[in-house]
Amino acid sequence: MKRKGIAAVFTVMLAGCLCTGCGQTKERVNEAGESVITVWSPTDEPAIEEWWVEKTETFNQAHKGRIHLRREAIVRADSYAYEDKINAAITSNDLPDILFVDGPTVSVYAANEIILPLDDLFSEEEWGDFLDSSKQQNTYDGKIYAVGATESSVALFYNADMLAEAGIRIPESKEEAWTWTEFYDAAKKLTKDGVVGTNIIMDKGEGLPYVLEQFWISNGTDLVSADGSQADGYINSPEGIEAAEFLNSLIQGGYANIDPIQKEFHNGRAATMLGGSWEVATLENDYPDLNWGITYFPVAENGILSSPTGDWVASVTKNTQDMEAAREVMRFLFSGENVTTYAKAISKPPTRISSYDVLTEYNEYPRSLIKEQLMETGHPRPRTPSYSVLSAEFSEAMLNIFTGVDAKEALDAAAAATDKDYNKYYAQE
Amino acid sequence: MTQKQRKQMGSLAFYIGNTIIGLIFVSPLIWMISASLKPEAEIFKGLNSISTFIPKAASLANYQEVFSRINMWKFIFNSLFYVMVIIALDLFVNSLCGYALAKFEFKGKNALLTLVISLMVFPAEAIMLPMYREMADLGWINTWASLIVPFVAKCFSIYMFRQFFLDIPNDLLEAAKIDGCGPVKTFFRVVVPISGTVYATILILDFVAHWNDFMWPLLVVTGEEKRTIQLAIQTFFGSKPINYGPIMASLTISAIPMLLMFVFLQKYYVEGIASTGIKG
Amino acid sequence: MQVSVNKKSERKAAYLFIIPAVVLLAAFLIYPALQTVRYAFTDYNIMRPDRIRFCGFNNFIELFQDKDFWIAVKNTFHFTVLVVPFQTVLALALALLISSRRKGVSIFRAAYFSPQVTSMVVVAILWTVLYNSNPNSGLLNALLVKLGMEPSGFLSDPKTAMNSIIFMSAWQGAGYQMMIFLAGLQGIPKDQYEAASIDGAGKIKSFLYVTLPGLKNVISYVIMITVIQAMKLFTQPYVMTKGGPQNATRTLVYYVYEQGFQKRNFGYACAVAAVFFVIVISLSVGMKKIIKA
Repeated sequence: MKRKGIAAVFTVMLAGCLCTGCGQTKERVNEAGESVITVWSPTDEPAIEEWWVEKTETFNQAHKGRIHLRREAIVRADSYAYEDKINAAITSNDLPDILFVDGPTVSVYAANEIILPLDDLFSEEEWGDFLDSSKQQNTYDGKIYAVGATESSVALFYNADMLAEAGIRIPESKEEAWTWTEFYDAAKKLTKDGVVGTNIIMDKGEGLPYVLEQFWISNGTDLVSADGSQADGYINSPEGIEAAEFLNSLIQGGYANIDPIQKEFHNGRAATMLGGSWEVATLENDYPDLNWGITYFPVAENGILSSPTGDWVASVTKNTQDMEAAREVMRFLFSGENVTTYAKAISKPPTRISSYDVLTEYNEYPRSLIKEQLMETGHPRPRTPSYSVLSAEFSEAMLNIFTGVDAKEALDAAAAATDKDYNKYYAQE
Repeated sequence: MTQKQRKQMGSLAFYIGNTIIGLIFVSPLIWMISASLKPEAEIFKGLNSISTFIPKAASLANYQEVFSRINMWKFIFNSLFYVMVIIALDLFVNSLCGYALAKFEFKGKNALLTLVISLMVFPAEAIMLPMYREMADLGWINTWASLIVPFVAKCFSIYMFRQFFLDIPNDLLEAAKIDGCGPVKTFFRVVVPISGTVYATILILDFVAHWNDFMWPLLVVTGEEKRTIQLAIQTFFGSKPINYGPIMASLTISAIPMLLMFVFLQKYYVEGIASTGIKG
Repeated sequence: MQVSVNKKSERKAAYLFIIPAVVLLAAFLIYPALQTVRYAFTDYNIMRPDRIRFCGFNNFIELFQDKDFWIAVKNTFHFTVLVVPFQTVLALALALLISSRRKGVSIFRAAYFSPQVTSMVVVAILWTVLYNSNPNSGLLNALLVKLGMEPSGFLSDPKTAMNSIIFMSAWQGAGYQMMIFLAGLQGIPKDQYEAASIDGAGKIKSFLYVTLPGLKNVISYVIMITVIQAMKLFTQPYVMTKGGPQNATRTLVYYVYEQGFQKRNFGYACAVAAVFFVIVISLSVGMKKIIKA
């Protein structure tokens, strides 16, 4: 009878669902007695997915019977989605042994004891092979908590034809980088005929602190204190307010769009842009008709030369049960050879100085400029356990300033919110 | 004006009006399909003119890339599977409950109705983490159970079924009773067959809701085995720079099952269903 | 005898009918909801599930003094009060527009429903272009300037951001309610319309005296769920404005997400969620009473 049939199907389905749900927590030792080391890293381009498959194979062959490496790709839309996933795993104490995280969040996880210090992972000499900017990013409270294979930088991309026509000079060395005044004048001159002088909004999320923090640093301040415990007096210092007001002058004057259209610069609708190092490959591959160039990140009048850095890195979590095996995997993943091959596969600058001997493309313009900035003027984002709050508050403050709020007021609010978070959770330690 | 002319004017107005309004509603979909056929550099060119709706160098390259880059068929299957199971159970469980609330008398009926309405209020974002913990405690992480079971009972569906079942004339049910049908038989033999439109409506609305769901599958699914189509599409946003070509192609692919489902259910909306009067 | 047996079997049937739904709701909706309420009384920081401490009503006290919370309340009501009538009327109009037996109706039906099928990603990209504050890039502003008017900031202007979202949401959501109205229109017996036209009623009269009454239950349902869904607005602010500019589009559910997941103030977020729950429940129960009357 139809009714009985439906009820039967229903019961079977429900039962089926329940049965397939038997005990799926992280497996730490498999049937062959091998220590299972799980790695969570974000899903990425085919070249990187292949790199993982190949390297996992190699490692498992070499460590057969002792360690089994398993990598699980986690969907990363914007980094918020990935972090939601980590939050969930923290809740159920089910983190993988090795966890990839976005560079600036290392301090957050370190301060909350989610990840473990790795100072003795490499010898003093081996650590020396890694870029300072990368090590700085991964250090919290004097200890190193993560290792990365790639770095990133932001440079000033320009439309060579438009600049030539306007008679604007292009810096030949980092000492000649545009000052803020020159940047402003250039943007103003280049804004005409439906083209806007510059693009300073990479995106309205993490892109804002990533790119714009450097204006604070260049002006002699930063977003928080060096130990990450206080924002008041830094993000909203007089120098900071100056930086914010300078950036706002570009928006208010109409020399930069507050709502940039995708690929504004690539399509010739913006004369310059503060763009990520990855844009080099995009422009080379997809926009052969555009006559473009890159130059140094702008510097404040008599200010400090500074440029953004930062990329995803790997850490070892507190849920690991075989620290020895985890360290072995880390040393493998971030060996000289593997850092080089990874960086090459993803077309990003490597973190190891020795890798640059192999990846000679970084000796030629435009990539040489990226390398120069990384090695000489790179400044990672602030190391503070309240980074998530700071980043969100900074983005919001900047967008508020761009839509008319007084700079001091907006930055004061951001400082207050950040300090509140720090004092609520981290101050008593 | 003759009757015929008036009718023709009416028809003309009908078609013109609906076409204009229809275009306004459907233009993003058309843009998306068009973008999926364009090479990467073309997608954001000329967003200000009509030409953005027309793919100049139209090709299926983006689609090829999607299928070669990721295991798209598997993800389509995964989504189809778990969504269809939810829907099947959803229609069954919630219509029963809605019917009881509409047509039966029992102790606690009003309390249950109030409860159902109240629970509609709780936003998923607020209870996502406790729900996740519950899945972890049950050992359901990364299983079909976690994708399906929590979503079978839905307050919106229960309430909607109830509202529609309220409108079923009691005489119809009385007639069935007189014929000797118990409540269960009455429901399946009399009520369900005349409620095709309601079932179809809830089917399509819930299908769309679950098909587009991203947050929950993100939390409970790891790796490729049970990855859903929305998760797969989001993976394209992870690379720097973002390649919009494959994204548009995969979004178009994702829209197809929903449109097919919609077309498939057309017959429940065709005007002319006989009145629900009582026939001898 | 016959009657009491029927009553009993009806009661038994009733419980049988509601058991599966009730069990599932209790296990997967009520239980997590109670957990959320429980966490509202703690200082739960997501990063430290081992350090959850009871803190009484602290979160609630903080909440009532939180400027951002009250702004979120205001925004949420602003959105709801405007979107519900706008979207409902639009949906009903669309449903009436296509409840006809003319050929090709199914195509229009699909067209009006298509925003529901179009991914939020695409919707966000295109509406950002539509709303772009620069007349060189934004279609609406280009039109305004052509007509000799001032360009508007739309999503970038705190004064117009929420209204821009309202308009876009109505466009996107009308298809959903339209489907429900269509189902409702199906249920009105045709003989009622025939009787009305025999009595000499024109289109408008038959709408007022046959259609509307016939849709009474459906309309009350649609309004109820639209209000609830409107109060729960999250996706559009999340994707398009991140609650800005200047707090203009920060809704309650977005605030819950922001506090709970981004700032990891989970205990506080649960308190906000609990208060949100109370607000919306009171609203819906109140509405239910009004509709009954």
